[in-house]
Amino acid sequence: MLIQKKITLPKVLIAIVLIGMLAFTLMPLLFMITASMMTSSQIVRMPFKWIPEGFNYTNFIKAVRGNDGTYIFLRNISNSLIVSCSVAVTTVLLAALTGYGLAKFRFRGRNTVFMMIMATMMIPFEAIMIPLYMVVMMLRIQNTYIGLILPFLVSAFGVFQMKQYLTTFPTEFLDAARVDGMGEFGIFARIVFPNCKPVIATLAILSFRSQWDNLLWPLLVSQKDQMKTIPQYISNFALERSTDEGAMMAAALIASIPMFLLFMSLTKYFIGGSAVYESRKG
Amino acid sequence: MGSKKSYGIEKKQARWGFAFVVPSLVFFSVFSFYPIINAFYTSFFDKRALSKLAPKFLGLGNYARLFNPATASNELSFLNSLKSTMVFTLGTFIPLLVISLIIAVFISNLTSNKVKKFLQIAYYCPAILSSVVAAAIWMIIFDPRGLGNQWMNTLFNTPGVDHRWLVDPVMEQVSTMVIYFWKYIGYFTILFITGLASIPPTIYEASTIDGATKWQSFWRITLPLLKPTVVLVSVMAMLQCLKTFSTQYMLYSNGAPRAPINVITFNIYVTGIQQQYLGRASAMSVVLFVLMLVLTLFQFKTTKSENVEY
Repeated sequence: MLIQKKITLPKVLIAIVLIGMLAFTLMPLLFMITASMMTSSQIVRMPFKWIPEGFNYTNFIKAVRGNDGTYIFLRNISNSLIVSCSVAVTTVLLAALTGYGLAKFRFRGRNTVFMMIMATMMIPFEAIMIPLYMVVMMLRIQNTYIGLILPFLVSAFGVFQMKQYLTTFPTEFLDAARVDGMGEFGIFARIVFPNCKPVIATLAILSFRSQWDNLLWPLLVSQKDQMKTIPQYISNFALERSTDEGAMMAAALIASIPMFLLFMSLTKYFIGGSAVYESRKG
Repeated sequence: MGSKKSYGIEKKQARWGFAFVVPSLVFFSVFSFYPIINAFYTSFFDKRALSKLAPKFLGLGNYARLFNPATASNELSFLNSLKSTMVFTLGTFIPLLVISLIIAVFISNLTSNKVKKFLQIAYYCPAILSSVVAAAIWMIIFDPRGLGNQWMNTLFNTPGVDHRWLVDPVMEQVSTMVIYFWKYIGYFTILFITGLASIPPTIYEASTIDGATKWQSFWRITLPLLKPTVVLVSVMAMLQCLKTFSTQYMLYSNGAPRAPINVITFNIYVTGIQQQYLGRASAMSVVLFVLMLVLTLFQFKTTKSENVEY
Protein backbone atom coordinates (compact mmCIF):
# COMPACT_ATOMS: atom_id res chain seq x y z
CA MET A 1 0.00 0.00 0.00
CA LEU A 2 2.86 2.35 0.76
CA ILE A 3 4.14 2.03 -2.80
CA GLN A 4 0.79 3.04 -4.19
CA LYS A 5 0.61 6.25 -2.20
CA LYS A 6 4.08 7.49 -3.08
CA ILE A 7 4.00 10.50 -5.38
CA THR A 8 6.32 9.89 -8.32
CA LEU A 9 7.20 11.94 -11.37
CA PRO A 10 5.17 9.79 -13.82
CA LYS A 11 2.14 10.17 -11.58
CA VAL A 12 2.47 13.93 -11.60
CA LEU A 13 2.81 13.91 -15.39
CA ILE A 14 -0.28 11.71 -15.76
CA ALA A 15 -2.24 14.06 -13.52
CA ILE A 16 -1.11 17.08 -15.55
CA VAL A 17 -2.14 15.43 -18.84
CA LEU A 18 -5.54 14.35 -17.52
CA ILE A 19 -6.30 17.72 -15.93
CA GLY A 20 -5.11 19.57 -19.04
CA MET A 21 -7.42 17.44 -21.15
CA LEU A 22 -10.26 18.12 -18.73
CA ALA A 23 -9.71 21.85 -19.13
CA PHE A 24 -9.58 21.49 -22.93
CA THR A 25 -12.86 19.56 -23.15
CA LEU A 26 -14.85 21.54 -20.57
CA MET A 27 -13.69 25.14 -21.12
CA PRO A 28 -15.50 25.64 -24.46
CA LEU A 29 -18.68 24.29 -22.86
CA LEU A 30 -18.35 26.69 -19.94
CA PHE A 31 -17.60 29.40 -22.46
CA MET A 32 -20.90 28.73 -24.24
CA ILE A 33 -22.78 29.03 -20.95
CA THR A 34 -21.11 32.20 -19.69
CA ALA A 35 -21.04 33.86 -23.11
CA SER A 36 -24.78 33.33 -23.48
CA MET A 37 -25.22 35.71 -20.53
CA MET A 38 -22.84 38.41 -21.77
CA THR A 39 -23.03 41.30 -24.18
CA SER A 40 -20.97 41.04 -27.35
CA SER A 41 -18.37 43.51 -26.18
CA GLN A 42 -17.88 41.51 -22.97
CA ILE A 43 -17.39 38.27 -24.94
CA VAL A 44 -14.51 39.55 -27.06
CA ARG A 45 -12.89 41.55 -24.28
CA MET A 46 -9.21 41.01 -23.55
CA PRO A 47 -8.60 39.46 -21.12
CA PHE A 48 -11.79 37.40 -21.01
CA LYS A 49 -13.65 37.39 -17.68
CA TRP A 50 -15.23 34.01 -16.93
CA ILE A 51 -17.82 35.30 -14.49
CA PRO A 52 -20.52 37.32 -16.26
CA GLU A 53 -21.41 40.68 -14.74
CA GLY A 54 -25.07 40.08 -14.16
CA PHE A 55 -27.41 37.97 -16.24
CA ASN A 56 -27.94 39.54 -19.65
CA TYR A 57 -31.21 37.82 -20.54
CA THR A 58 -31.72 39.88 -23.71
CA ASN A 59 -29.50 37.31 -25.52
CA PHE A 60 -32.11 34.63 -24.98
CA ILE A 61 -34.91 36.93 -26.13
CA LYS A 62 -32.90 37.77 -29.27
CA ALA A 63 -32.14 34.10 -29.89
CA VAL A 64 -35.82 33.16 -29.77
CA ARG A 65 -37.12 36.27 -31.52
CA GLY A 66 -34.58 36.15 -34.36
CA ASN A 67 -33.09 39.15 -36.17
CA ASP A 68 -36.28 39.84 -38.06
CA GLY A 69 -38.61 39.31 -35.09
CA THR A 70 -40.53 36.40 -36.63
CA TYR A 71 -39.99 33.93 -33.76
CA ILE A 72 -39.06 31.35 -36.40
CA PHE A 73 -36.78 29.75 -33.79
CA LEU A 74 -39.80 28.20 -32.08
CA ARG A 75 -40.99 26.75 -35.36
CA ASN A 76 -37.51 25.46 -36.24
CA ILE A 77 -36.91 23.79 -32.89
CA SER A 78 -40.35 22.13 -33.09
CA ASN A 79 -39.45 20.89 -36.58
CA SER A 80 -36.28 19.35 -35.20
CA LEU A 81 -38.24 17.73 -32.36
CA ILE A 82 -40.88 16.36 -34.75
CA VAL A 83 -38.32 14.95 -37.19
CA SER A 84 -36.01 13.49 -34.52
CA CYS A 85 -38.85 11.87 -32.57
CA SER A 86 -40.47 10.43 -35.71
CA VAL A 87 -37.18 8.95 -36.87
CA ALA A 88 -36.56 7.48 -33.41
CA VAL A 89 -40.02 5.85 -33.38
CA THR A 90 -39.92 4.44 -36.91
CA THR A 91 -36.34 3.19 -36.49
CA VAL A 92 -37.22 1.31 -33.30
CA LEU A 93 -40.44 -0.20 -34.70
CA LEU A 94 -39.09 -1.23 -38.10
CA ALA A 95 -35.77 -2.46 -36.73
CA ALA A 96 -37.57 -4.59 -34.12
CA LEU A 97 -39.94 -6.03 -36.71
CA THR A 98 -37.16 -6.86 -39.16
CA GLY A 99 -34.76 -8.08 -36.49
CA TYR A 100 -37.48 -10.40 -35.15
CA GLY A 101 -38.25 -11.73 -38.61
CA LEU A 102 -34.57 -12.44 -39.26
CA ALA A 103 -33.85 -13.93 -35.83
CA LYS A 104 -36.83 -16.20 -35.22
CA PHE A 105 -38.22 -17.31 -38.60
CA ARG A 106 -36.82 -19.61 -41.24
CA PHE A 107 -37.61 -18.68 -44.80
CA ARG A 108 -35.89 -18.95 -48.12
CA GLY A 109 -33.53 -16.07 -48.80
CA ARG A 110 -33.24 -15.10 -45.14
CA ASN A 111 -29.45 -14.91 -45.23
CA THR A 112 -29.51 -13.01 -48.50
CA VAL A 113 -31.88 -10.45 -47.00
CA PHE A 114 -29.66 -10.10 -43.95
CA MET A 115 -26.49 -9.68 -46.01
CA MET A 116 -28.22 -7.10 -48.22
CA ILE A 117 -29.26 -5.04 -45.22
CA MET A 118 -25.76 -5.26 -43.76
CA ALA A 119 -24.29 -4.18 -47.11
CA THR A 120 -26.18 -0.87 -46.91
CA MET A 121 -23.93 0.03 -43.97
CA MET A 122 -21.18 0.52 -46.53
CA ILE A 123 -23.18 3.14 -48.43
CA PRO A 124 -22.56 6.47 -46.73
CA PHE A 125 -25.40 8.98 -46.77
CA GLU A 126 -23.05 11.64 -48.17
CA ALA A 127 -22.53 9.54 -51.31
CA ILE A 128 -26.24 9.10 -52.06
CA MET A 129 -27.57 12.49 -51.08
CA ILE A 130 -27.60 13.77 -54.68
CA PRO A 131 -29.75 10.86 -55.99
CA LEU A 132 -31.95 11.14 -52.88
CA TYR A 133 -32.36 14.83 -53.62
CA MET A 134 -33.51 13.88 -57.15
CA VAL A 135 -36.04 11.45 -55.64
CA VAL A 136 -37.35 14.22 -53.37
CA MET A 137 -37.70 16.58 -56.32
CA MET A 138 -39.46 13.89 -58.35
CA LEU A 139 -41.93 13.16 -55.54
CA ARG A 140 -42.36 16.91 -54.90
CA ILE A 141 -41.82 16.55 -51.18
CA GLN A 142 -39.37 19.40 -50.68
CA ASN A 143 -40.22 21.47 -47.61
CA THR A 144 -42.29 18.73 -46.01
CA TYR A 145 -41.82 16.59 -42.91
CA ILE A 146 -42.13 13.50 -45.11
CA GLY A 147 -39.16 14.70 -47.16
CA LEU A 148 -37.09 15.28 -44.02
CA ILE A 149 -37.95 11.92 -42.45
CA LEU A 150 -38.22 9.48 -45.35
CA PRO A 151 -34.53 8.62 -46.00
CA PHE A 152 -33.98 7.79 -42.29
CA LEU A 153 -36.96 5.53 -41.50
CA VAL A 154 -34.76 2.64 -40.34
CA SER A 155 -31.04 1.97 -40.08
CA ALA A 156 -29.12 -1.17 -40.93
CA PHE A 157 -27.33 -0.91 -37.62
CA GLY A 158 -30.68 -0.91 -35.83
CA VAL A 159 -31.76 -4.09 -37.62
CA PHE A 160 -28.41 -5.69 -36.75
CA GLN A 161 -28.72 -4.78 -33.05
CA MET A 162 -32.28 -6.07 -32.82
CA LYS A 163 -31.41 -9.32 -34.57
CA GLN A 164 -28.44 -9.94 -32.27
CA TYR A 165 -30.57 -9.23 -29.21
CA LEU A 166 -33.55 -11.34 -30.29
CA THR A 167 -31.50 -14.37 -31.33
CA THR A 168 -31.10 -15.16 -27.63
CA PHE A 169 -34.80 -14.61 -26.91
CA PRO A 170 -36.27 -17.95 -25.64
CA THR A 171 -38.30 -19.58 -28.46
CA GLU A 172 -40.41 -21.52 -25.89
CA PHE A 173 -42.26 -18.30 -25.01
CA LEU A 174 -43.22 -17.81 -28.63
CA ASP A 175 -44.34 -21.44 -29.03
CA ALA A 176 -46.38 -21.26 -25.81
CA ALA A 177 -48.15 -18.16 -27.10
CA ARG A 178 -48.82 -19.90 -30.43
CA VAL A 179 -50.33 -22.89 -28.62
CA ASP A 180 -52.57 -20.44 -26.74
CA GLY A 181 -53.80 -19.25 -30.11
CA MET A 182 -52.13 -15.84 -30.25
CA GLY A 183 -51.61 -14.39 -33.73
CA GLU A 184 -48.08 -13.85 -35.05
CA PHE A 185 -48.40 -10.09 -35.03
CA GLY A 186 -49.87 -10.16 -31.53
CA ILE A 187 -46.87 -12.20 -30.37
CA PHE A 188 -44.55 -9.54 -31.76
CA ALA A 189 -46.47 -6.61 -30.33
CA ARG A 190 -47.26 -8.05 -26.90
CA ILE A 191 -44.38 -10.43 -26.13
CA VAL A 192 -41.33 -9.67 -28.24
CA PHE A 193 -41.38 -5.88 -28.51
CA PRO A 194 -41.91 -5.12 -24.79
CA ASN A 195 -38.93 -7.34 -24.00
CA CYS A 196 -36.38 -5.43 -26.09
CA LYS A 197 -36.19 -2.41 -23.79
CA PRO A 198 -32.38 -2.01 -23.62
CA VAL A 199 -31.98 -2.09 -27.41
CA ILE A 200 -35.01 0.17 -27.85
CA ALA A 201 -33.46 2.77 -25.53
CA THR A 202 -30.09 2.67 -27.27
CA LEU A 203 -31.56 2.86 -30.76
CA ALA A 204 -34.05 5.59 -29.88
CA ILE A 205 -31.30 7.79 -28.42
CA LEU A 206 -28.93 7.24 -31.33
CA SER A 207 -31.48 7.96 -34.02
CA PHE A 208 -32.90 10.98 -32.19
CA ARG A 209 -29.41 12.34 -31.82
CA SER A 210 -28.32 11.79 -35.41
CA GLN A 211 -31.34 13.76 -36.64
CA TRP A 212 -30.94 16.50 -34.04
CA ASP A 213 -27.41 16.92 -35.40
CA ASN A 214 -28.35 16.61 -39.08
CA LEU A 215 -27.53 19.70 -41.12
CA LEU A 216 -26.83 18.35 -44.59
CA TRP A 217 -30.18 16.76 -45.46
CA PRO A 218 -32.37 19.66 -44.22
CA LEU A 219 -30.13 22.00 -46.25
CA LEU A 220 -31.12 20.00 -49.34
CA VAL A 221 -34.81 19.55 -48.55
CA SER A 222 -35.93 22.65 -46.62
CA GLN A 223 -35.57 25.95 -48.37
CA LYS A 224 -38.59 27.58 -46.73
CA ASP A 225 -37.88 29.16 -43.33
CA GLN A 226 -40.91 27.45 -41.80
CA MET A 227 -39.51 24.00 -42.58
CA LYS A 228 -35.92 24.56 -41.46
CA THR A 229 -34.46 22.69 -38.50
CA ILE A 230 -32.42 23.89 -35.56
CA PRO A 231 -28.93 23.27 -37.05
CA GLN A 232 -29.98 25.40 -40.02
CA TYR A 233 -31.23 28.12 -37.68
CA ILE A 234 -27.86 28.28 -35.92
CA SER A 235 -25.89 28.26 -39.17
CA ASN A 236 -28.06 31.14 -40.42
CA PHE A 237 -27.01 33.06 -37.33
CA ALA A 238 -23.42 32.69 -38.53
CA LEU A 239 -24.43 33.73 -42.03
CA GLU A 240 -26.00 37.02 -40.95
CA ARG A 241 -22.90 38.85 -39.90
CA SER A 242 -24.85 41.49 -37.99
CA THR A 243 -25.82 38.95 -35.34
CA ASP A 244 -24.14 39.30 -32.02
CA GLU A 245 -22.17 36.48 -30.41
CA GLY A 246 -24.14 36.46 -27.16
CA ALA A 247 -27.43 35.70 -28.90
CA MET A 248 -25.75 33.01 -31.00
CA MET A 249 -24.44 31.29 -27.85
CA ALA A 250 -27.89 31.59 -26.27
CA ALA A 251 -29.43 29.87 -29.31
CA ALA A 252 -26.71 27.19 -29.21
CA LEU A 253 -27.34 26.62 -25.50
CA ILE A 254 -31.11 26.25 -25.95
CA ALA A 255 -30.52 23.87 -28.87
CA SER A 256 -28.26 21.71 -26.69
CA ILE A 257 -30.68 21.36 -23.79
CA PRO A 258 -32.63 18.31 -25.10
CA MET A 259 -29.41 16.35 -25.68
CA PHE A 260 -28.03 17.37 -22.28
CA LEU A 261 -31.21 16.21 -20.55
CA LEU A 262 -31.08 12.88 -22.39
CA PHE A 263 -27.39 12.48 -21.57
CA MET A 264 -27.84 13.24 -17.88
CA SER A 265 -30.75 10.83 -17.45
CA LEU A 266 -29.46 7.98 -19.67
CA THR A 267 -25.67 8.26 -19.47
CA LYS A 268 -25.05 4.53 -19.67
CA TYR A 269 -26.84 4.17 -23.00
CA PHE A 270 -24.72 6.94 -24.47
CA ILE A 271 -21.39 5.64 -23.27
CA GLY A 272 -22.15 1.98 -23.87
CA GLY A 273 -24.25 2.07 -26.99
CA SER A 274 -22.62 4.78 -29.05
CA ALA A 275 -19.60 2.61 -29.78
CA VAL A 276 -20.14 1.18 -33.23
CA TYR A 277 -23.06 3.23 -34.43
CA GLU A 278 -21.75 6.62 -35.31
CA SER A 279 -19.13 5.40 -37.69
CA ARG A 280 -21.83 3.69 -39.71
CA LYS A 281 -24.44 6.35 -39.98
CA GLY A 282 -23.71 9.72 -38.51
CA MET B 1 -50.69 -36.73 -42.07
CA GLY B 2 -48.55 -35.45 -39.23
CA SER B 3 -45.66 -34.59 -41.45
CA LYS B 4 -47.89 -32.80 -43.90
CA LYS B 5 -49.40 -30.68 -41.16
CA SER B 6 -46.03 -29.58 -39.75
CA TYR B 7 -44.96 -28.76 -43.29
CA GLY B 8 -47.97 -26.45 -43.50
CA ILE B 9 -47.04 -24.72 -40.25
CA GLU B 10 -43.50 -24.25 -41.45
CA LYS B 11 -44.74 -22.68 -44.66
CA LYS B 12 -47.01 -20.37 -42.74
CA GLN B 13 -44.14 -19.44 -40.46
CA ALA B 14 -41.92 -18.70 -43.43
CA ARG B 15 -44.58 -16.38 -44.82
CA TRP B 16 -44.83 -14.48 -41.55
CA GLY B 17 -41.07 -14.15 -41.31
CA PHE B 18 -40.93 -12.76 -44.82
CA ALA B 19 -43.79 -10.38 -44.07
CA PHE B 20 -41.89 -8.98 -41.09
CA VAL B 21 -38.82 -8.35 -43.22
CA VAL B 22 -40.51 -6.86 -46.29
CA PRO B 23 -40.99 -3.25 -45.05
CA SER B 24 -37.28 -2.79 -44.33
CA LEU B 25 -36.32 -4.57 -47.52
CA VAL B 26 -38.43 -2.18 -49.57
CA PHE B 27 -37.01 0.77 -47.65
CA PHE B 28 -33.38 -0.21 -48.19
CA SER B 29 -34.00 -0.94 -51.86
CA VAL B 30 -35.55 2.47 -52.48
CA PHE B 31 -33.35 4.60 -50.20
CA SER B 32 -29.97 2.85 -50.35
CA PHE B 33 -29.54 0.55 -53.34
CA TYR B 34 -31.48 2.54 -55.91
CA PRO B 35 -29.70 5.83 -55.04
CA ILE B 36 -26.20 4.36 -55.20
CA ILE B 37 -26.95 2.72 -58.56
CA ASN B 38 -28.49 5.97 -59.70
CA ALA B 39 -25.37 7.86 -58.58
CA PHE B 40 -23.23 5.62 -60.81
CA TYR B 41 -25.68 6.03 -63.70
CA THR B 42 -26.04 9.83 -63.38
CA SER B 43 -22.28 10.26 -63.15
CA PHE B 44 -22.04 9.35 -66.87
CA PHE B 45 -24.40 12.16 -67.92
CA ASP B 46 -24.34 15.92 -68.07
CA LYS B 47 -27.45 16.18 -65.90
CA ARG B 48 -28.64 19.56 -64.63
CA ALA B 49 -31.49 20.02 -62.19
CA LEU B 50 -33.44 22.72 -63.99
CA SER B 51 -32.84 21.66 -67.59
CA LYS B 52 -35.83 20.24 -69.45
CA LEU B 53 -33.68 18.66 -72.16
CA ALA B 54 -32.67 15.01 -71.94
CA PRO B 55 -29.22 14.87 -70.30
CA LYS B 56 -26.30 14.32 -72.66
CA PHE B 57 -24.27 11.12 -72.33
CA LEU B 58 -20.68 11.93 -71.44
CA GLY B 59 -19.21 8.53 -70.75
CA LEU B 60 -16.33 9.07 -68.38
CA GLY B 61 -16.34 12.78 -69.18
CA ASN B 62 -17.32 13.85 -65.67
CA TYR B 63 -14.53 11.77 -64.14
CA ALA B 64 -12.01 13.05 -66.68
CA ARG B 65 -13.00 16.56 -65.74
CA LEU B 66 -12.67 15.88 -62.00
CA PHE B 67 -9.21 14.36 -62.32
CA ASN B 68 -7.93 16.67 -65.06
CA PRO B 69 -4.45 17.77 -63.86
CA ALA B 70 -4.97 21.14 -65.56
CA THR B 71 -7.62 22.01 -62.93
CA ALA B 72 -5.13 21.66 -60.07
CA SER B 73 -4.36 25.36 -60.26
CA ASN B 74 -8.03 26.20 -59.68
CA GLU B 75 -8.29 26.31 -55.92
CA LEU B 76 -11.95 25.19 -55.88
CA SER B 77 -11.35 22.16 -58.13
CA PHE B 78 -12.09 18.58 -57.12
CA LEU B 79 -8.39 17.73 -57.00
CA ASN B 80 -7.94 20.39 -54.36
CA SER B 81 -11.01 19.03 -52.54
CA LEU B 82 -9.34 15.63 -52.44
CA LYS B 83 -6.22 17.28 -51.09
CA SER B 84 -8.01 19.25 -48.38
CA THR B 85 -9.99 16.15 -47.39
CA MET B 86 -6.76 14.16 -47.06
CA VAL B 87 -5.11 16.94 -45.06
CA PHE B 88 -8.12 17.17 -42.78
CA THR B 89 -8.42 13.39 -42.38
CA LEU B 90 -4.74 12.79 -41.58
CA GLY B 91 -4.45 15.90 -39.44
CA THR B 92 -7.47 14.89 -37.39
CA PHE B 93 -7.35 11.13 -37.09
CA ILE B 94 -3.67 10.75 -36.17
CA PRO B 95 -3.85 13.10 -33.14
CA LEU B 96 -7.24 11.60 -32.22
CA LEU B 97 -5.84 8.07 -32.32
CA VAL B 98 -2.59 8.76 -30.45
CA ILE B 99 -3.98 11.05 -27.78
CA SER B 100 -7.15 9.06 -27.10
CA LEU B 101 -4.99 5.94 -26.67
CA ILE B 102 -2.66 7.71 -24.22
CA ILE B 103 -5.57 9.16 -22.25
CA ALA B 104 -7.33 5.79 -22.16
CA VAL B 105 -4.20 4.05 -20.82
CA PHE B 106 -3.80 6.77 -18.16
CA ILE B 107 -7.45 6.53 -17.12
CA SER B 108 -7.37 2.72 -17.00
CA ASN B 109 -4.39 2.88 -14.61
CA LEU B 110 -6.17 5.15 -12.14
CA THR B 111 -7.12 3.49 -8.87
CA SER B 112 -10.28 5.40 -7.97
CA ASN B 113 -13.36 4.23 -9.87
CA LYS B 114 -15.17 7.49 -9.16
CA VAL B 115 -12.43 9.55 -10.80
CA LYS B 116 -12.38 7.13 -13.75
CA LYS B 117 -16.10 7.50 -14.31
CA PHE B 118 -16.06 11.28 -13.85
CA LEU B 119 -13.25 11.73 -16.39
CA GLN B 120 -14.97 9.52 -18.96
CA ILE B 121 -18.22 11.47 -18.68
CA ALA B 122 -16.45 14.85 -18.72
CA TYR B 123 -14.36 13.98 -21.78
CA TYR B 124 -17.47 12.68 -23.53
CA CYS B 125 -19.49 15.89 -22.95
CA PRO B 126 -18.49 17.70 -26.19
CA ALA B 127 -19.71 14.70 -28.21
CA ILE B 128 -23.33 15.28 -27.21
CA LEU B 129 -23.37 18.76 -28.76
CA SER B 130 -24.38 18.94 -32.39
CA SER B 131 -21.57 19.69 -34.86
CA VAL B 132 -23.13 23.03 -35.65
CA VAL B 133 -23.11 24.11 -32.01
CA ALA B 134 -19.51 22.93 -31.62
CA ALA B 135 -18.45 24.97 -34.63
CA ALA B 136 -20.40 28.01 -33.37
CA ILE B 137 -18.62 27.95 -30.00
CA TRP B 138 -15.17 27.64 -31.54
CA MET B 139 -15.85 30.34 -34.13
CA ILE B 140 -16.19 32.83 -31.29
CA ILE B 141 -13.14 31.41 -29.49
CA PHE B 142 -11.17 31.86 -32.74
CA ASP B 143 -12.26 35.50 -33.07
CA PRO B 144 -9.18 37.78 -33.37
CA ARG B 145 -9.95 39.16 -29.90
CA GLY B 146 -11.23 35.82 -28.62
CA LEU B 147 -10.02 33.18 -26.20
CA GLY B 148 -8.02 31.22 -28.80
CA ASN B 149 -5.45 33.96 -29.21
CA GLN B 150 -5.43 34.68 -25.48
CA TRP B 151 -4.74 31.03 -24.62
CA MET B 152 -2.03 30.62 -27.26
CA ASN B 153 -0.33 33.86 -26.24
CA THR B 154 -0.35 32.87 -22.56
CA LEU B 155 0.99 29.37 -23.34
CA PHE B 156 3.80 30.53 -25.60
CA ASN B 157 4.36 33.90 -23.94
CA THR B 158 3.78 35.89 -27.14
CA PRO B 159 1.56 38.82 -26.07
CA GLY B 160 -0.55 40.54 -28.66
CA VAL B 161 -0.04 38.10 -31.56
CA ASP B 162 -3.07 37.35 -33.76
CA HIS B 163 -2.91 33.77 -35.04
CA ARG B 164 -5.42 34.47 -37.83
CA TRP B 165 -7.37 31.27 -37.01
CA LEU B 166 -10.14 31.74 -39.53
CA VAL B 167 -8.28 33.80 -42.13
CA ASP B 168 -4.95 32.15 -42.90
CA PRO B 169 -5.46 29.06 -45.15
CA VAL B 170 -3.31 26.73 -43.03
CA MET B 171 -4.67 28.01 -39.73
CA GLU B 172 -8.20 27.58 -41.06
CA GLN B 173 -7.52 23.90 -41.69
CA VAL B 174 -5.97 23.63 -38.22
CA SER B 175 -9.10 25.24 -36.76
CA THR B 176 -11.39 22.65 -38.34
CA MET B 177 -9.10 19.91 -36.99
CA VAL B 178 -9.19 21.39 -33.48
CA ILE B 179 -13.00 21.54 -33.54
CA TYR B 180 -13.28 17.94 -34.73
CA PHE B 181 -10.64 16.72 -32.30
CA TRP B 182 -12.43 18.43 -29.43
CA LYS B 183 -15.77 16.90 -30.34
CA TYR B 184 -14.59 13.31 -30.76
CA ILE B 185 -11.70 12.84 -28.30
CA GLY B 186 -13.96 11.56 -25.50
CA TYR B 187 -15.78 9.20 -27.80
CA PHE B 188 -12.60 7.50 -29.00
CA THR B 189 -11.12 7.48 -25.50
CA ILE B 190 -14.11 5.45 -24.35
CA LEU B 191 -13.68 3.01 -27.25
CA PHE B 192 -10.08 2.43 -26.16
CA ILE B 193 -11.03 2.08 -22.49
CA THR B 194 -13.49 -0.66 -23.52
CA GLY B 195 -10.72 -2.34 -25.51
CA LEU B 196 -8.26 -2.10 -22.63
CA ALA B 197 -10.78 -3.55 -20.19
CA SER B 198 -10.97 -6.73 -22.28
CA ILE B 199 -7.27 -7.51 -21.69
CA PRO B 200 -7.16 -9.92 -18.75
CA PRO B 201 -5.30 -8.43 -15.73
CA THR B 202 -3.56 -11.76 -15.07
CA ILE B 203 -1.23 -11.06 -18.01
CA TYR B 204 -0.06 -7.85 -16.36
CA GLU B 205 0.34 -9.62 -13.02
CA ALA B 206 2.52 -12.25 -14.68
CA SER B 207 4.68 -9.63 -16.38
CA THR B 208 5.05 -7.65 -13.12
CA ILE B 209 6.26 -10.81 -11.37
CA ASP B 210 8.74 -11.27 -14.21
CA GLY B 211 10.04 -7.79 -13.45
CA ALA B 212 8.65 -5.83 -16.39
CA THR B 213 8.24 -2.08 -15.96
CA LYS B 214 4.99 -0.32 -16.87
CA TRP B 215 6.67 1.14 -19.94
CA GLN B 216 7.75 -2.32 -21.14
CA SER B 217 4.38 -3.89 -20.48
CA PHE B 218 2.68 -1.13 -22.49
CA TRP B 219 4.80 -1.77 -25.59
CA ARG B 220 5.02 -5.56 -25.24
CA ILE B 221 1.55 -6.44 -23.94
CA THR B 222 -1.00 -3.64 -24.19
CA LEU B 223 -0.27 -2.44 -27.70
CA PRO B 224 -0.06 -5.86 -29.44
CA LEU B 225 -3.22 -7.10 -27.72
CA LEU B 226 -4.99 -3.84 -28.48
CA LYS B 227 -4.20 -4.01 -32.19
CA PRO B 228 -7.76 -4.97 -33.27
CA THR B 229 -9.17 -1.98 -31.37
CA VAL B 230 -6.51 0.28 -32.87
CA VAL B 231 -7.42 -0.84 -36.40
CA LEU B 232 -11.14 -0.49 -35.70
CA VAL B 233 -10.80 2.97 -34.15
CA SER B 234 -8.48 4.30 -36.83
CA VAL B 235 -10.70 3.15 -39.70
CA MET B 236 -13.79 4.49 -37.94
CA ALA B 237 -12.09 7.83 -37.31
CA MET B 238 -10.94 8.02 -40.93
CA LEU B 239 -14.42 7.25 -42.28
CA GLN B 240 -15.86 9.85 -39.94
CA CYS B 241 -13.35 12.46 -41.13
CA LEU B 242 -14.02 11.72 -44.81
CA LYS B 243 -17.70 12.54 -44.24
CA THR B 244 -17.13 15.85 -42.47
CA PHE B 245 -19.41 18.65 -43.59
CA SER B 246 -21.07 20.72 -40.84
CA THR B 247 -17.88 22.21 -39.39
CA GLN B 248 -16.62 23.38 -42.78
CA TYR B 249 -20.05 24.69 -43.77
CA MET B 250 -20.33 26.71 -40.57
CA LEU B 251 -16.89 28.31 -40.90
CA TYR B 252 -17.66 29.18 -44.52
CA SER B 253 -21.04 30.69 -43.53
CA ASN B 254 -19.19 32.80 -41.00
CA GLY B 255 -17.07 34.31 -43.77
CA ALA B 256 -13.94 32.14 -43.75
CA PRO B 257 -12.40 31.48 -47.20
CA ARG B 258 -13.79 28.34 -48.86
CA ALA B 259 -10.80 26.92 -50.73
CA PRO B 260 -8.77 25.46 -47.81
CA ILE B 261 -11.82 23.74 -46.28
CA ASN B 262 -13.57 22.74 -49.52
CA VAL B 263 -13.76 19.04 -48.55
CA ILE B 264 -15.40 16.46 -50.85
CA THR B 265 -18.85 16.57 -49.20
CA PHE B 266 -18.82 20.35 -49.29
CA ASN B 267 -17.87 20.29 -52.96
CA ILE B 268 -20.69 17.81 -53.69
CA TYR B 269 -23.13 20.12 -51.94
CA VAL B 270 -22.01 23.25 -53.79
CA THR B 271 -21.74 21.56 -57.20
CA GLY B 272 -24.93 19.51 -56.98
CA ILE B 273 -27.30 21.68 -54.99
CA GLN B 274 -26.17 25.28 -55.40
CA GLN B 275 -24.83 25.06 -58.98
CA GLN B 276 -27.24 22.24 -59.97
CA TYR B 277 -24.62 20.14 -61.86
CA LEU B 278 -26.10 16.82 -60.73
CA GLY B 279 -24.01 14.64 -63.06
CA ARG B 280 -20.72 16.11 -61.92
CA ALA B 281 -21.76 15.94 -58.25
CA SER B 282 -22.75 12.28 -58.74
CA ALA B 283 -19.28 11.52 -60.07
CA MET B 284 -17.83 13.11 -56.93
CA SER B 285 -20.21 10.99 -54.81
CA VAL B 286 -19.01 7.84 -56.55
CA VAL B 287 -15.38 8.74 -55.80
CA LEU B 288 -16.27 9.32 -52.14
CA PHE B 289 -18.16 6.01 -52.03
CA VAL B 290 -15.25 4.08 -53.51
CA LEU B 291 -12.77 5.70 -51.10
CA MET B 292 -14.88 4.74 -48.10
CA LEU B 293 -15.62 1.27 -49.44
CA VAL B 294 -11.91 0.52 -49.78
CA LEU B 295 -11.34 1.61 -46.18
CA THR B 296 -14.26 -0.46 -44.89
CA LEU B 297 -13.15 -3.59 -46.75
CA PHE B 298 -9.65 -3.08 -45.39
CA GLN B 299 -11.10 -2.95 -41.89
CA PHE B 300 -13.14 -6.14 -42.42
CA LYS B 301 -10.09 -7.94 -43.74
CA THR B 302 -7.76 -6.97 -40.91
CA THR B 303 -10.27 -7.53 -38.11
CA LYS B 304 -11.24 -10.92 -39.50
CA SER B 305 -7.71 -12.27 -39.87
CA GLU B 306 -6.65 -11.11 -36.45
CA ASN B 307 -9.02 -12.64 -33.97
CA VAL B 308 -6.82 -12.45 -30.90
CA GLU B 309 -7.09 -15.15 -28.31
CA TYR B 310 -5.73 -14.58 -24.86
